[in-house]
Order: sequence, then C-alpha cells, then structure tokens
Amino acid sequence: MAKTSLSRLFASLSEHSITKPSFTGSRSDSVTRSAYNSVTRFVCSSAQETQLIREERSNEGDREAAKENLESVNKEEDEGEDGDHVNKETGEVGGPKGPEPTRYGDWERNGRCSDF
Amino acid sequence: MAASIAYVGGHLQYGVNFCMGQSYKQAIWVPSVTFNGCLQRELSWSCGVSKFLQIRKCNLFQSRTNENWKSFGTVITSAYLRDGSTKYFDFAVIGSGVAGLRYALEVAKHGSVAIITKAEPHESNTNYAQGGVSAVLCPSDSVESHMQDTIVAGAYLCDEETVKVVCTEGPDRIRELIAMGASFDHGDDGNLHLAREGGHSHHRIVHAADMTGREIERALLEAVVNDPNISVFKHHFAIDLLTSQDGSDTVCHGIDALNTETQEVVRFISKVTLLASGGAGHIYPSTTNPLVATGDGMAMAHRAQAVISNMEFVQFHPTALADEGLPIKPKKTRENSFLITEAVRGDGGILYNLSMERFMPLYDERAELAPRDVVARSIDDQLKKRNEKYVLLDISHKPREKILSHFPNIANECLQHGLDITQQPIPVVPAAHYMCGGVRAGLQGETDVHGLYAAGEVACTGLHGANRLASNSLLEALVFARRAVQPSINHMKSSSLDLSASSLWTCPLVPKSLGSDVMHKILRITKEVRKELQSIMWKYVGIVRSTSRLQEAEQKIGKLEAKWETYLFEHGWQQTMVALEACEMRNLFCCAKLVVSSALARHESRGLHYMTDFPHLEESKRLPTVIFPSSHTTGTWSSRQLHQQPIVNSMV
Repeated sequence: MAKTSLSRLFASLSEHSITKPSFTGSRSDSVTRSAYNSVTRFVCSSAQETQLIREERSNEGDREAAKENLESVNKEEDEGEDGDHVNKETGEVGGPKGPEPTRYGDWERNGRCSDF
Repeated sequence: MAASIAYVGGHLQYGVNFCMGQSYKQAIWVPSVTFNGCLQRELSWSCGVSKFLQIRKCNLFQSRTNENWKSFGTVITSAYLRDGSTKYFDFAVIGSGVAGLRYALEVAKHGSVAIITKAEPHESNTNYAQGGVSAVLCPSDSVESHMQDTIVAGAYLCDEETVKVVCTEGPDRIRELIAMGASFDHGDDGNLHLAREGGHSHHRIVHAADMTGREIERALLEAVVNDPNISVFKHHFAIDLLTSQDGSDTVCHGIDALNTETQEVVRFISKVTLLASGGAGHIYPSTTNPLVATGDGMAMAHRAQAVISNMEFVQFHPTALADEGLPIKPKKTRENSFLITEAVRGDGGILYNLSMERFMPLYDERAELAPRDVVARSIDDQLKKRNEKYVLLDISHKPREKILSHFPNIANECLQHGLDITQQPIPVVPAAHYMCGGVRAGLQGETDVHGLYAAGEVACTGLHGANRLASNSLLEALVFARRAVQPSINHMKSSSLDLSASSLWTCPLVPKSLGSDVMHKILRITKEVRKELQSIMWKYVGIVRSTSRLQEAEQKIGKLEAKWETYLFEHGWQQTMVALEACEMRNLFCCAKLVVSSALARHESRGLHYMTDFPHLEESKRLPTVIFPSSHTTGTWSSRQLHQQPIVNSMV
C-alpha cells in the first residue's frame, strides 16, 4: 500500500495527479500509531533531505538574487529608457523582484498566494 | 433625419424613420438611432399626455460623425412606469469584470450597451486575479499541450471541443488585450515573458508583474469609459431577469436592477443580455472572493429557467490565514482571505492539528508536498473529525532570516495580529476560491434562454471540468466574451421589441412602507442568517463530502430559508420587495442549494468533488451534472422570479 519512493517526495508540487486519498474513517488507532511512526520517520528523514536540497537551492537562489539585485541596480543606472528591473535568469523586464513567484506551482509574492 | 414619437393608446411606441438614402428596417429601437437634438422637444410634448407614462429625461449623446450608419450614437430615454424608471438598450451586460467589459467593447460597435454592476466597476473577481492568463504563446508550446494539461486538471470531465476552442483562440485574445493597452511583462528580447504554474507543462502564463487581473481590468475599463456607446451603471444591483415564454422557449428581455445609492428600481429592457456576474464564494465563510461575489447571476439564471451545470465543483485553497487563530483578531471581518502560498510548505512548512499532531502523512506519503487538492482534503477531514476551526502551518523551525526574507508579507500580516511566525505556527483554514460550475453555456456563450448569454466565472462552458487549471479562468472569460459577440449581434438585429412590454412585469418595490425599525430588524436577521448558511455550507458541503452530510445540509438549509422568509413576510415584506441584503441572501440560498443538489447527484469522486461513500472515479459517471429549472409555481422566494412570467407570443 505504501508505494513510497523518494522520487515522488522530490516531485514538484506542479504535479496534477488524480489521487484517491483514503480517509482514516475505518483505521484503528493502534494501527495508525505504529504505521504513523514508521511513516513519519521515513517521511521526516526524506523530508529533511528535501528540505536540505531546497535550502541549498534557495541558498543559491539567495546568492543569485543578491547578485541579481546588485547587477540590476547597475543595469538600472546604465539603462536610459526605463528603470525596470531585469531578471538576470529569465531576461524578464519589469517583473516581480525576488524568487520566481511560480516556483512551487502557485503564484506567490512575499508569501501571499494570489493564484493557483 | 426625423424622429416621430407616436402615442398610441395607453402605450408609448417609438417609431423611427430614417431617411438616409439606405433602406432601414423598422427596428423600433430608440437607442440605435442617431439624433441631433430634435428628439428632446418632441418628447417633452408628449410629457403631459399620458397620466402614467412620464418621460422625465432624455439624454442625448454626441453622435459620431460617421457616414456609416451602422455605428450609432446612443440615446437613452427613461420612461417612468408607476414607481420605477425604464431604460432601453440593445445590449445589457451584468457584471464589470473581464468578461463583461470585453464583450461590451465589441458589441458597442453595433449598438448601445448598458453595463450594470453592483458596486464600483473594478470590484470584481478579475481585479483580484493576480497570477496571470494562460495561453500558447511560445513556439515550443502547443495547443495540444495546453489542452492536455487542462483536461488532466479537469479530471477528464472537460468538454473537449470547448477546451480546443479556448486553447486555440487564447493567443489572439491576449494579443487583442495588448492592442487595447494592457501592459504585460516581457523579456529583454522583446517577447512576452511567460511563467509556468502548477499543472502546466510549458511556460505559458502571461502576466503583468503580480497584478495581471488588475492590469487587464484597468485597460478594459479605460476603453469602456471612453466609449460613447457604453453606459456604466455602477451601484446597480441586478434583481431578476425579465423573461417571457414563447411556446416552450424562454426569452430574456432585460433585467430589473436596484440603484443601491438612490434606492430606486431601474428596469433595463434589452434585446440581448450577457451574464458576466462572476462567482459565489460567499456561500462559504472563508473565501478569497470580494464581497460582491454572492452568486447573483447563477441564481437569476436558475430562476429564469436556464440550465445550471457542475455546481459541485468548488475550488478551495487549502491554506488561507485563519483569523480565528490569531492572538489579536482583526477589527472587522476580513473581506477576502489572505492565502498562504504553497512555497511555505515547499520550503519545509509542516501542518499540525491543534493537538500538534502532524497529520499529512496519514493521508499521503508525500505529506506536506502532496498536491494541493490532497492537502485541502486532508485539512478539511481533520477539521471535521476534530470539530476544530483551523489547523497550524509551522515554519518556525526554519532560520529566522530565511522566513522573513521569503515571506515578509505573511510575517507582517501575522505580526500585526500578535503572531510571530518565526516562533509560532500559522493558523490556516481552506478558503473557497472559484466556482467551476455555473450557467450552462454553449460554444457561443449561449444559454437555454433566448437572448441570454453567459461568460466568465458565472458560466459553465465545459472548460474547467471537475477542476480549474491555474490561469485558465481569465482566459475562459476572454474567449467566451468574444465568442458571444457575433451571435449577440445577430440576435439583436433580428429582434424587435414592443416597448410597451416593459409594463408586463410587475415592478420591484423598495420597502419604504415597512419603516426603518422593521428594516433594521430584517437586516440584522438577514446578516445572522447569512452567517448561519455559510456555516452550514462549510460544515456539511465542504471539501470532503458524504451523502448523509449533504442530506443534512439540504434539511438545514431548507429550514433556515423557511425561517428567514417567514420572518420577512411576517414583518410585512412583500413578494416584490427588494433590498440589497435580502436579494443577496436569496441568491446565496439559491446557489447553496444548487451546490448541494449537484453534489448529491454525483456518485463518484472526481476533481474537486470528493465523497467518502463514493471515493473513486467512475468512468460511467464522467458526465456533467445538469440542473434543470424547477417548476416556478412552487418553491421559495429565492427560487422564483419576483414578477410573474407573462405568456405571450408577440414578444419576439
């Protein structure tokens, strides 16, 4: 039943799968407890790995963002026509600064989601 | 050019004769005619003649100096009938979001347009749609890919032809918006910058920084305001469609509205009506929708005998900030929810119930990283099982600087209410966001009622199926608003209406006679009843459903409605009386019941609709849910039009 695989945990949130969650109406508590613990431990360790990887990515992202900001400031000084922010990675002009709003599938700015 | 107004019998008929060197079909349609000032004098002559028809004002718009007689200036005349005023237009548009405005701008080239909107024109779901519009604009992308993504997201319930049409026509609609002045982000290569959202396999989201909807709304409103053929009636709340029977067909002739600023009823007679009134988020207590989204269009259409479809597919966002859980509650109820992004979970946020048990692993091995719909169901299940109001999303185990730099918006909002997200978990609850169902509309935006079209969130075109793909809603509105244009023009040209028809429907009545004391009581009770309805909907018609809970909802809603109506009528309220809060309430009841009936009818789980007693997909049930009009001789105040339906053949 637990078709767990690390690859699924690392899968991006943009996956649209028609899953059929089973709701715990009929499970007994004891079964739940032990299954929960082992699943939790498993999930936690891989989640930690996920978190680590995401942290590394976001560290990179931060470094890059910092670089971007510096560079965009320079670019803004250079640009004659408009002071629009240019995203170094994507070449987007006038877009939202900071991390890519859609990086987790929804549209977010500074933590607030406005589209999904 | 000469205009003559003949007063015939007890009815006012406008006969217009054009001498322009071209044959002109007698359309008897005042607003389609260009005048140069002579009309006013003639109208005032007929003022004293009729005892119950008074022409109070006549507005003359500057006609465009244009040889082509097809482009008209607008003349609006108001004839007061007893205690209301009547306005005549070729096209009436209900709603001022992207669908309504886009449509208005096109049909205005062929006739006069009234846009009827219940608040300020920019107050619409469109304005709050900040993410983007999806369209195939990249050479490496394809219509087939967009179609596939849409159909998969819709759990295979989408109408394939509709999907094809929308995905194919999307790019052109975007280009038109740009031509109209909407400013979208572009790359430094000059091409549109396309983002990629969840569910899309290509980059195809066009956006304007992070306020796409607002930008589109701005561009369209600007064009509308500058269009001499379009009149915007803001703060006009649409009450009911004016319909008649022509044999077995129902025909729409316009709409009654209440000017909520002056408390006057205005009757709009139009050859064509477009419903673009948006969603119904406020049938639930927690919603991302602005206050205007009370399902008015769906309710009016249902009362007018239009077919409603797929109302069970209500999209929720799993993690809206739960004000209940904040140490310092907001002073007034938040009008639309603050959604906490998936990024919080993506960055390691953990969900706990109020006993600090991490529950996601019970539902899915991906835990917090499971797809959004799974997370929404899990949260809902926990809340219902434990009878709690919210769950907790904890990111406090992450470094403080990371939290503050990634999520400053959440941090600030919470801090203002006494919560430090670097130390404490965030209270969250699912919020209703989008109605995938609505008034059944065909490929031309046509409904089952002749002369009535629908576009945008109010319509059910078959695009979204059982679940909406991100950024497809603005796209749907644009495509269908455009598609409804030619059929509307054709319908308008082939229609002629006896203007005396206006007196065939009883006029709505403003409840002045009740007195302020009684009104105050009624308003207070209505406010409580609204909260109660929302509570029932959330508790029994939430994300995880079951037949028994839905049946309970049906019972409770029925009782609540009866209780409310009895209270009203006991206090002197009459069948034809109207007030904003009461009319919204009857629309909310109507929509809530449509959602419950639809949910009860689907014996499977698909997309947004999940039933614990039918937890699987059933191929044989891969069909839309359709609600046919109920008999209008029985039923509650919310399910009947205010007026009687005349049965006349001479109307069309």
